[in-house]
Amino acid sequence: MSGAIGDGDAAGSEHAGDGRTEAKTDDADGATGARAHDDDAVAEFHETDARPPTVAVVVSLAAAGVAATAGLVASPTGGALLGVAALGFLGGSLRSSTRALTWGAAVGVVGLALAGYRGAPAEALLVAAVGLVVAWDVADHGVGLGEQVGRGARVRRNVAVHAGASLLVGALAAGLVYGVSLAVGGGQPVAALALLLAGGIALISALR
Amino acid sequence: MSDPSGAAVASESSESEQGGAEAGSAARKKADESNADEANADESNANDGVATGQVSETTVEGNETPGEGGDSTATASTDAPTDRERRREVATDRWLGIAGAALALVGLGVLVRQSSLLLAGAVGVGYAVYARAGDAPTPTLSVTRSVSDEAPAPGDEVRVTVRAVNVGETALPDLRLSDGVPPGLAVVDGPARVATALRPGTAVTFEYTVRAARGDHEWEPLTAITRDAAGARERSTALDAPTSIACTPELTAGGDLPLRGLTTVNHGRVPTDVGGAGVEFHATREYRRGDPLKRIDWNRRARTGELSTVELREERAATVVLLVDARESAYVAADPDAETAVEASVAAAGQAFSALLDGGDRVGIAALSPLDCWLPPGSGTVHAARGRETLATDPALAPTPSDGRFYRSLWLRRFRRRLPVDAQVLFFTPLVDDTAATLARRIDAHGHLVTVLSPDPTTTETAGQRLTTFERRQRLRSLRSAGIRAVEWGDDSFPVAVAAATRRWSR
Repeated sequence: MSGAIGDGDAAGSEHAGDGRTEAKTDDADGATGARAHDDDAVAEFHETDARPPTVAVVVSLAAAGVAATAGLVASPTGGALLGVAALGFLGGSLRSSTRALTWGAAVGVVGLALAGYRGAPAEALLVAAVGLVVAWDVADHGVGLGEQVGRGARVRRNVAVHAGASLLVGALAAGLVYGVSLAVGGGQPVAALALLLAGGIALISALR
Repeated sequence: MSDPSGAAVASESSESEQGGAEAGSAARKKADESNADEANADESNANDGVATGQVSETTVEGNETPGEGGDSTATASTDAPTDRERRREVATDRWLGIAGAALALVGLGVLVRQSSLLLAGAVGVGYAVYARAGDAPTPTLSVTRSVSDEAPAPGDEVRVTVRAVNVGETALPDLRLSDGVPPGLAVVDGPARVATALRPGTAVTFEYTVRAARGDHEWEPLTAITRDAAGARERSTALDAPTSIACTPELTAGGDLPLRGLTTVNHGRVPTDVGGAGVEFHATREYRRGDPLKRIDWNRRARTGELSTVELREERAATVVLLVDARESAYVAADPDAETAVEASVAAAGQAFSALLDGGDRVGIAALSPLDCWLPPGSGTVHAARGRETLATDPALAPTPSDGRFYRSLWLRRFRRRLPVDAQVLFFTPLVDDTAATLARRIDAHGHLVTVLSPDPTTTETAGQRLTTFERRQRLRSLRSAGIRAVEWGDDSFPVAVAAATRRWSR
């Protein structure tokens, strides 16, 4: 799994290389030094730092940490995979690579599945799921922000609103399904499955 | 103050406490806790005028200025939404696959009979619904941009303050603003961008600093990118808030520029090979009737008894055209942050312009550029002002390269048609390609004596750079061997280089 992440990172760095690494290696870039255009200098200043803003990375890591902790409580293997996912989010953020973030999220979902398969309690698994989604969402949002406004810009309010909305949706969804499962009384997965699946799909198609 | 969430809370409290009272801007929020008298004082302060409110806002560093009650004076003047142009709306595809992952968890839960997996999958379904629910709002913003100085001197730092108020009905959960800084200006402090979230009636202010460069600079439209809360759809909008600054450098006369011996018939200061009235000895000749007494060589008369007349060099005025190389290839600099050769050329041309004009010569300006730039030779104060303006703001001499192709033979034909017969040319070019050298020789061959003045943009760090340096030096050498005067200057100033070169030159 970690090999897959490394692969993703490498591909991601290639992907990121087309625009951003030029700015970092300006002094190493000797051939164009003598005939650099004025507007290039301006563009270089604008793109000095296209990495995601620190606040987004920190929030993402915090959420991933919560997810990994909850996963560890549920099942050590699942928790470990969620930890790998957190590392993937960190790497993706540092390299501004959405592909690495997607790989991280995929590893996290596998971790969730594994933890659930090992019979994790519903509460821990719900917290881990919400944490994983929020962590990926904020990290990906941060990469987008880095590309569009850069690391130096003021983004705190934006990130706070985005993370808050994401967390709110997760909490509402988790609360709803947990409430439903309590109301049903547990032990009837097939009935609950039918209910949730039908409800979810109906909602999606209705809102499309 | 810098914490946005804290600011939002503060604005909440100010609304609840003050109700409908229209007082206070962001800077006065602290007064809300104090007594009513102070609040009243603030109110009268706010009534004093728009100016106070705006000044206090621009001085507050880095704040999402909240509060609909607060900005009554400011928003009254800027209530009209800025003209906007919708550019594109795209799906970001961020959440692609979330439904699949969720349903996979659900399916696995069914297979292994684990209700907890089912619940986790249901949460994913919830996010999938969230991702499809929203639509990227079209921002209705009122944008004002103010600059600290509309006519700065070159190199001055100009503070730019952009303020955007959400005057629409919808909240903007994710708004990114990117200002359209003119391409010729360098941002030296703070990115010209911000990302925030705006409820209806709230405003965001951001500031950045640009370094003024020679020329007319007009801001391009502000780009606003909005996303829905989940970030699944993105809309880009251009907001037109016209602002411009004009930066016109003062021309200082720099040094004494030696001209070549192609002159007009008018009296001036260029020594010629024509004998007549002047100061410098030229020759003696036989006395002719009517020669002025004071030019008769009385020593010789005393020695030999013959009358002879001393001829002095006549000093005449020249017609000079300053030709600046502003093709795209001339926009080169020693390092990315340094000024380009075109900037150096224009600065030197400005010094030459005023020096020559002060000396009584007729001076014109032309540019070697795809765009047409021609100021016919002239003299006088009006001409001086016109020349200053041409050098500062002509699009052909802009700080960034102009679009369009440069056709050498067309340009040369037009240039020769315009050039007065007795005009000599001061050619400012970095000489980084053969075209400039060829043109210099061709103009010289057509009888317009050329002096090449070349700012040196080359460096010698890598092999490629050394090759470029060598090629340029070779071009200079071949120009000199063709009888064209050439001065180059690098780090030392233009007048110093000219003074150093002049010592070597013979007339």
